Amino acid sequence: MDKPDTQTEEGRADSNGIGNIGRRGMLKAAGGTALAIALAGCSDVLLGDDEEVVDVADVPDEPVEAGLQTFTEGPASVLGLQAQFGAEEAVRRINDAGGVAGREIELDVVEEGDSWIENYSRFVDDGKEVTFGPISSGGHLDLVGEVEAQGVVNIATDGTVTRMFEEELDDPTYAFRFQNHDVMEAASAALTAIEQLGADEIDTYANINPDYAFGQDEREIFNATIEQLTDAEEVYSGFPELATDDMSTHVTSVVSEEPDVLFTSCWGGDATLLLSQGQDQGMMDATDIIVGPVLYGSANDFSSGDIEGNIWSGSRNFYWDFPDSDRWSPGRELFDAAQEAEDTIPTAHYMSGYGAVTCWATAVEGLVDMLGGWPEQEQIAAALEGHGFYTPAGYHVMAEDHQCYSNAHFGRLTWNDEMDIPVIEEMTIRDPREVSPPPGEISVEWIESWS
Amino acid sequence: MIELPLFIDLGDAAVHTLNGIFRGSILFMIASGLTIIFGVLGVLNLAHGEFYGIGAFLLTSIATFFVVRIAAPTDPLSTAIFAAAIVIAVLLSAAILIPIAGAIEATVIRPIYDRAEMYQLLLTYALLLILVDTIRIIWGSQPVRPAAVDGQQIHAALDVIPMEELFGFQYSSVRIFTIFIGIGTFLFLLWFFDRTKTGRIIRATAIDREAATAIGVSSDRVFTLVFALGGFFAGFSGALYSVSAIPATAEMGGTALVLSFVVIVIGGLGSIRGSFVGAILVGVVWSWAIAEYPPAEIAAPFALMILVLLVRPEGLYGAWGEIE
Repeated sequence: MDKPDTQTEEGRADSNGIGNIGRRGMLKAAGGTALAIALAGCSDVLLGDDEEVVDVADVPDEPVEAGLQTFTEGPASVLGLQAQFGAEEAVRRINDAGGVAGREIELDVVEEGDSWIENYSRFVDDGKEVTFGPISSGGHLDLVGEVEAQGVVNIATDGTVTRMFEEELDDPTYAFRFQNHDVMEAASAALTAIEQLGADEIDTYANINPDYAFGQDEREIFNATIEQLTDAEEVYSGFPELATDDMSTHVTSVVSEEPDVLFTSCWGGDATLLLSQGQDQGMMDATDIIVGPVLYGSANDFSSGDIEGNIWSGSRNFYWDFPDSDRWSPGRELFDAAQEAEDTIPTAHYMSGYGAVTCWATAVEGLVDMLGGWPEQEQIAAALEGHGFYTPAGYHVMAEDHQCYSNAHFGRLTWNDEMDIPVIEEMTIRDPREVSPPPGEISVEWIESWS
Repeated sequence: MIELPLFIDLGDAAVHTLNGIFRGSILFMIASGLTIIFGVLGVLNLAHGEFYGIGAFLLTSIATFFVVRIAAPTDPLSTAIFAAAIVIAVLLSAAILIPIAGAIEATVIRPIYDRAEMYQLLLTYALLLILVDTIRIIWGSQPVRPAAVDGQQIHAALDVIPMEELFGFQYSSVRIFTIFIGIGTFLFLLWFFDRTKTGRIIRATAIDREAATAIGVSSDRVFTLVFALGGFFAGFSGALYSVSAIPATAEMGGTALVLSFVVIVIGGLGSIRGSFVGAILVGVVWSWAIAEYPPAEIAAPFALMILVLLVRPEGLYGAWGEIE
């Protein structure tokens, strides 16, 4: 199949993805109240002012007990804390607006560690009505079987390995994932490199990816995409240990090969280290472009010297300044909220937590409206399939394969002197249909079918 | 550029080797403390890696304190002042470990000298966990680097050796300095244990504690001094590592400890010469393994250790249980 056209900054600003927007949601969006729809008060979101709210007698009085497992310590807390902050901000906004069908959410956050199944089981034993997380790709692979067995809805904040809903769990009921899966960002990285350099100008490429499921998945998809669309060959592939303390030899190897493109899915401290040591050894001069799907996840740790050069970064399904504030204020408002509450730049992982909570809350709100009472887990799970909702990142659809589809963001990583923070400019957003296969298809096979 | 048979040019070969020697120099400074402590005290200190981690974190705080108060290097004079401040930060970071390690030895380690090794391992492992949590409480869970200087990391601001002009390849000046510091530390330790009275007393105590006590040596003081010395060098290496903009993390001590064990097993427990040779070997093998076959990155040092254990079980400079 041919690749669909890319949306650009000049393109659609409301960032509609796939799926249908509900009548009331569309009306609200058209009325310019997207932020309220996204975050606030699910009653206000899904019910018009003239519609009756469900009989409160059919809805329990007590708060909704929710559990989030995320990395709160260790190197991965760079991502995990962002997800926690985002989830807590969503809960705060929902509760301030009256809760989910009148029920406030109480979010219990636990350290993910390597106890994904134990954490989830404890949540279930404690009577949690919904669970969120994990961050870990490997952990998510381990967890989904247990979620299906125990039957309490889980919306993963991250854990984005592509094969999850393609091969490992092809008919899930209770396990969902909010954040873009790897195929979207790895394919976006390849397409960005091609757009910037031209397919005919790319003869060689190199990889430096973290040595675990995520890094291997990203490399496989990036390689498949760039080799499908160019005649380039891979000249180096390194898999440094996750949270390594030295990338210098990988950098030396890349500098030696002088590839046209360097792809890296390193994140957190690894991304900072790679770019810092890359600057030391002239890696930015030795390559024509560096593309990294999650480099901006280290936005809070970069200094301006780290990101000099032709470096392009993804930002998954959310970048706080796209569309820019003149056209879409919710992103900037979320930035301000994160700055005020945690003094942090909200990255895509902030949205991972925010969106997972919002996805569940908006679906349940609508379901309560329909059923006239609080729904069972099976009903919530069924309602989540095909559920469309807004966040400050735009519109999202939880598809029938339980993977949520949103736009993919990619742009040039640069330093904003005025704000004294790293930002992404020349942003391109891609419709999910452009960078991920239809539900039921295998990503790599789908990419190999491109002409 | 001349090509080697491995199709790596000399510039790349030099950089790969320098990368390995740099890593080896850092490892040596950690492992030397570990091996001295074992050689004299007979304690395998599992918390030793945390001294390294604390040194790295202290550097981030102290260097940041200086960086925000000193003018960025723009000319030779300001560069010299800046470099002096960073040297002071490194030495201060390491020096703070002296009372910390000394106090730990006097209060926690000393009571269990006569216990079975299992107790020592359990106790030092408990110390490791406590120190990791202490780091998290003080500096948080996320990776930390010193504040940047005009957007540049410290080591970039101190990049004063024109490597490209002189040798045809780019390489960090701070790394070159670190390598020389590693060599200097090795020579200092050899001199200290060989030529100074204190060093000889420590060696005598390591060889025969009772005999040393009989001639008036206070073994308690010697043990405290040795433990503090080990802490100093571990902290020193952590601080130096941090200057190179390598993020300090609460977990960094774990990897350092494991590789230090590899180093002292290769070199021979208790041998400073062995630690130095073992560390450089581990670093260079690690670096060249990545260059030639990247998937071997983690396995290469351990493969080298197994090889040495099979061929020479006592290590290259075996001096088990004493300082040599």
